[in-house]
Amino acid sequence: MSSPDTPVSGAPPTGAEERDKRRRWWRPELVLALVVLGLGVLVIVGTLDVSAAASQLGIGPRFFPMLVGGSMVVVGVFYVADVLRGGRGDPEESEDVDVDAPADWRSVGLVSGIFLAFTAVLNVVGWIIGSALLFFGLSVVLGAQHKARAAVVGVVLGVLTYLVFVKGLGVTLPAGPLQGVI
Amino acid sequence: MESFQLLLDGFAAALTPVNLLYALIGVTLGTLVGVLPGIGPAMTVALLLPITFTVPPASAFIMFAGIYYGGMYGGSTTSILLNTPGESASMITALEGNKMARRGRAAQALATAAIGSFVAGTIATALLVVAAPAVVSFAISFGPEDYFALAVLAFVGVSAVLSRSLVRGLASLGLGLVIGLVGIDQQTGQARLTMGVPQLLDGIDVVIVAVGLFALGEALYVASRLRHSIPEVVPVGRAWMGRSDWGRSWRPWLRGTALGFPFGALPGGGAEIPTFLSYATEKKLARGATREEYGKGAIEGVAGPEAANNASAAGTLVPLLTLGLPTSATAAILLAAFQQYGLQPGPQLFDHNPALVWAMIASLFIGNTMLLVLNLPLAPLWARVLRIPRPYLYAGIIVFAALGVYALNATVVDLLVLFVLGLLGFAMRRFGLPIAPAVIGMILGPMAEIQLRRALAIGAGDITVLVKSPIAAVLLLLAFGALLTPLVRKLAERRQLAPTHIHEE
Repeated sequence: MSSPDTPVSGAPPTGAEERDKRRRWWRPELVLALVVLGLGVLVIVGTLDVSAAASQLGIGPRFFPMLVGGSMVVVGVFYVADVLRGGRGDPEESEDVDVDAPADWRSVGLVSGIFLAFTAVLNVVGWIIGSALLFFGLSVVLGAQHKARAAVVGVVLGVLTYLVFVKGLGVTLPAGPLQGVI
Repeated sequence: MESFQLLLDGFAAALTPVNLLYALIGVTLGTLVGVLPGIGPAMTVALLLPITFTVPPASAFIMFAGIYYGGMYGGSTTSILLNTPGESASMITALEGNKMARRGRAAQALATAAIGSFVAGTIATALLVVAAPAVVSFAISFGPEDYFALAVLAFVGVSAVLSRSLVRGLASLGLGLVIGLVGIDQQTGQARLTMGVPQLLDGIDVVIVAVGLFALGEALYVASRLRHSIPEVVPVGRAWMGRSDWGRSWRPWLRGTALGFPFGALPGGGAEIPTFLSYATEKKLARGATREEYGKGAIEGVAGPEAANNASAAGTLVPLLTLGLPTSATAAILLAAFQQYGLQPGPQLFDHNPALVWAMIASLFIGNTMLLVLNLPLAPLWARVLRIPRPYLYAGIIVFAALGVYALNATVVDLLVLFVLGLLGFAMRRFGLPIAPAVIGMILGPMAEIQLRRALAIGAGDITVLVKSPIAAVLLLLAFGALLTPLVRKLAERRQLAPTHIHEE
């Protein structure tokens, strides 16, 4: 609410302060906390549909979901409150993760997009072509330096997994247009 | 000495060529996924669940046990040779191990880790042989209310200990419990939380949940924050160590084993706390020149925690096999594997399937020996595995995740569920929700419900039946205590903040 020309001493410029204030209650983590809370409500509402068998001795199929849903709502409320009060979880550490780096949303979006595209075309193009494309696309998005090598690895991986899992272990994978060729 | 005879029978079963081959596949795969960042034993076992359905149960569990132990060995290689902080259980090893490696003592660090893991794994597995029948004879009298209380203790223990924030641990647990609820109620046949989608009537398969939360979630998380620098791997030859290293290592190994085994057996104990305690103990016991070495690469700081790490893995198997109680994510997946074969771990398992249980335990001894052979001379090979370019690694992980999930039912719907769970896993990592409580909640939740309903049915609806048994009452009290630990820890931290800082310096 501070006007741009309010004099500030020793504090960051007002624009940053404004953003800071907004950030204080708005955090991406709030979405996850609200999902937890919302799921709790959803479980309770969804369980109301379940008709309890009256002949059951003890408790029916509604008791435990209600317990879980109720607990989720309580935990969710605490979680939301914690996020609003400025609490934050420590991002998980892992060998390949730079915890201090800003999130690269472009990569996440592209990885997601490629995966969803793969699920859309898998049954049409078959496992070998589909998985080769999936591997190639993902490795390029994640920063593979030699595109040709990524493509070769992808094709080899697709053919090998198909041979091992379909011919060797009897797993069902779509053959696609290569049916009969391999 | 009845169990000794059974163990010998177990060795006879595990030493057949086919089962030796499965053990070898298991330990090799386990070491591989342990070395590679981004995948672990839990996800590997989950991915193999649908594929091993045609394999006899004894062979499958021999392989799974190999993967479990192998993952522990592999993790130490990564934390010693790779110059970046890793996950919490191996971070302690990295403290001194990586410093040793950079001082040119990588071979000795790897050797003390591998031999220490072997010593700890062997002793702890022997302890398992002794402890399991004792726990079984005690647990044979457990009623449903006791099992329910045990499950509650495991839920609360895992949620409270694994996260610095209790509310985040419990939120993760809740997410898992909700996932476990979806599908047809086993007792009445009622559909619950399926939102009218027929594919959800059978529930969400544990493979999809595990692969989504672990593999796809991890890959998305890494994509968001990938270190773009090329991983720096310390070069190493064959792992070996000299006489003075042996002299400095054997006591930490034994102390680490003594810490790791009991903590592994406790709900929520896990590997993090004993490895940390072992490190702190060794540091405190160090005298003279050794003390000066801490922070620059003291071999005791690798030997102790690595032994604790492996001993805790064996400890985890005690409650899993004797009570059906998983205390880690990998144990939860193993429990799901038992269920896939229509087996229920617990006292009855030792009664009805002694051959299977003891073959699996015998294979732990065998696998441990294989791992020692595999890890000492082949250290340079595993070091090379670490250099796999990360784009290929994570692209490959996603390809195998898709393969494993599609192989379940050959439907694309499963892949979409996998993607949604992957997003959930990504969000959980980003905001510091531990994954293990969700996995344990999903797998143990339905069993907790059955026991709860059984107990209340016996009590004819009287809720006090849950605390009438002294065992159940004690367990629930412990669970309540575990709920308070983060609070106590916070208070203690606040009080000790100033003194410890001085102490550290």
